[in-house]
Amino acid sequence: MHSILAVDDSASMRQMVSFTLKNAGFNVVDAVDGQDAWEKASKADFDLVLTDQNMPRMDGIGLTKKLRETPKFKNTPILILTTESSDQMKQAGRAAGATGWLVKPFDPAKLVEVIGKVIR
Amino acid sequence: MQLQDTSAPPPGSALPIWAAVELQDHLLVAGNDLDRLQRLLSDASEALLAHFYGANQALQPLLRDGAKDAGDGAAHAGSATAASHPQALQQALAHLAGAITAMQFQDMASQLVAHTGQRLRSCADRIARDTFADDEDEAVVEAPPLRPNPVTQDEMDAGSVELF
Repeated sequence: MHSILAVDDSASMRQMVSFTLKNAGFNVVDAVDGQDAWEKASKADFDLVLTDQNMPRMDGIGLTKKLRETPKFKNTPILILTTESSDQMKQAGRAAGATGWLVKPFDPAKLVEVIGKVIR
Repeated sequence: MQLQDTSAPPPGSALPIWAAVELQDHLLVAGNDLDRLQRLLSDASEALLAHFYGANQALQPLLRDGAKDAGDGAAHAGSATAASHPQALQQALAHLAGAITAMQFQDMASQLVAHTGQRLRSCADRIARDTFADDEDEAVVEAPPLRPNPVTQDEMDAGSVELF
């Protein structure tokens, strides 16, 4: 079973993402912000990281940069799921090493489809 | 006793004191109302999520029974098993899945409200500093948001997907 690290500072978003991904057969670990995700990623392996952008302590782009500096996450798909939709932010995400940019709100079927495309 | 002329702006301020007081009061009330809106949204979201999970859990045994009945070939005429109503059950599940997109409103609305609240508090603080403070260095002014509001959506249609 693939394991996904889902990061969002909104409790309702974490629940919606977990519900969708667990129903699709994934194992899901939650993190409340980038720092929490970084600590969890240091202790376990994940097949994909799905992260929000705007969060306290560490944002999604900051998390992506840190993960990409870590050998075990060098090739792990990282998707940023955020309300942000500006080209400038997308380019920053791309430059940080993100695999894709998803704008909220997400459609459950589409999210599962995209994850299926990029997960290893 | 000499009374202060409140119709004239204090030195260095463009607003008369009474107008600044009134404006600051409106901004603070609006900020407090936004805080209350934030709590209402959060409470509504929690209740919706609880009902959402409740409905989903209630449907799961029907799904399992339906699969079992279909496997046993036991969907008798007249019995109200899930196997006898597979379409209704699938429709109910599709409705629940469809609700997930709309139920993300709390996160988006919360960010929008927080951003706007910060802007209002910054304006109120600045009016206070410019109109009332004797010493600008001592006045604490909340900084305005550095970036435009991150939430630009005005409807709950699913957002775009871009793979790099």
